[in-house]
Amino acid sequence: MTGAWPEAQLDPIRRMRILAASIPGAAMAETVIAQPFERVWAVASDLEGELPHLIRDFRTVRVSPGEKGRLVLHARGYLGQRARFDVVLRPGWCWMQSRFLLGGMAAAPHPDGTTVALLGGLRQPGIRAMQPLVNAAGRPLAAGALRRLADRARLRGPE
Amino acid sequence: MALVRAAQHGDAMALADLLELLAPYVSRLCGPIALQDGPDAAQEALIIVFRDIRQLREPRALYGWVRTIAVREAVRAARRARTGSIGGLPPAAAGMLDQVPEPGDPLLAVDVRDVLARLSPEHRAVLTLRELEGLDEKAVSEMLAVREGTVKSRLHRARRSFAKAWQQ
Repeated sequence: MTGAWPEAQLDPIRRMRILAASIPGAAMAETVIAQPFERVWAVASDLEGELPHLIRDFRTVRVSPGEKGRLVLHARGYLGQRARFDVVLRPGWCWMQSRFLLGGMAAAPHPDGTTVALLGGLRQPGIRAMQPLVNAAGRPLAAGALRRLADRARLRGPE
Repeated sequence: MALVRAAQHGDAMALADLLELLAPYVSRLCGPIALQDGPDAAQEALIIVFRDIRQLREPRALYGWVRTIAVREAVRAARRARTGSIGGLPPAAAGMLDQVPEPGDPLLAVDVRDVLARLSPEHRAVLTLRELEGLDEKAVSEMLAVREGTVKSRLHRARRSFAKAWQQ
């Protein structure tokens, strides 16, 4: 009988909203891109090729297999700074964490294309008290990355 | 429950893994109670769970704690959007419980969504906790902060609706 009972579906966008709303130091932006899910996610999930275009602080990105089905991402910035991220990547969902940073991308089909969400955050003691600042600074950065994601998906065009 | 401890210490990977674990459970609870508002209710419930995760002292109590929050948020969401419930019906006649199909009866599965839609959010909460979670009246009454007799009457009414739908 259980199978016949209605269930409330939580798509990747809703899951990202949950984490954004509950993790101190995180800021999220969300938009609808007028491109099919497969094309948008082909860009978003190409971490080595596309992340340096989306996240302006990243000059190069290298990805290798990690433990428990995760990936390890090594990012280098323009000033020589380095970060090592643990990454979970699956269709419609990317979640990553380094010692000081966290990030996430989510995508789900939408009647007008694809809903995408991008989250960025700082892992610092006492960051909870700075949440208004994090939102003020982080949301425009995330929105900018989403605009670049839309551009990159448009450039990629039909397969 | 090392995952809960890691999440409580701000490990974002653990938080995402815990979300993966809890989302199906909360979805199963919020769906039958909040119906079309189920996704909103499940989202709200999980925001509360993750905001307050550090307050959970005993990780083994995780599911009970999550269940309480999910049911409360589902009833709240359904109340906000409440239309066409049958909350005002008179109490069911004695003996009606005997006519209710047993869990697992394939006849029940056919119209379960339709039958749920005819119940009030509170009745759906009682029915969900009893039928899907297997809780007894005492546990349900504690969770919903109502008297045990109220739970019994709500359950009776909920089951009577199932029985009526079954007979139609």
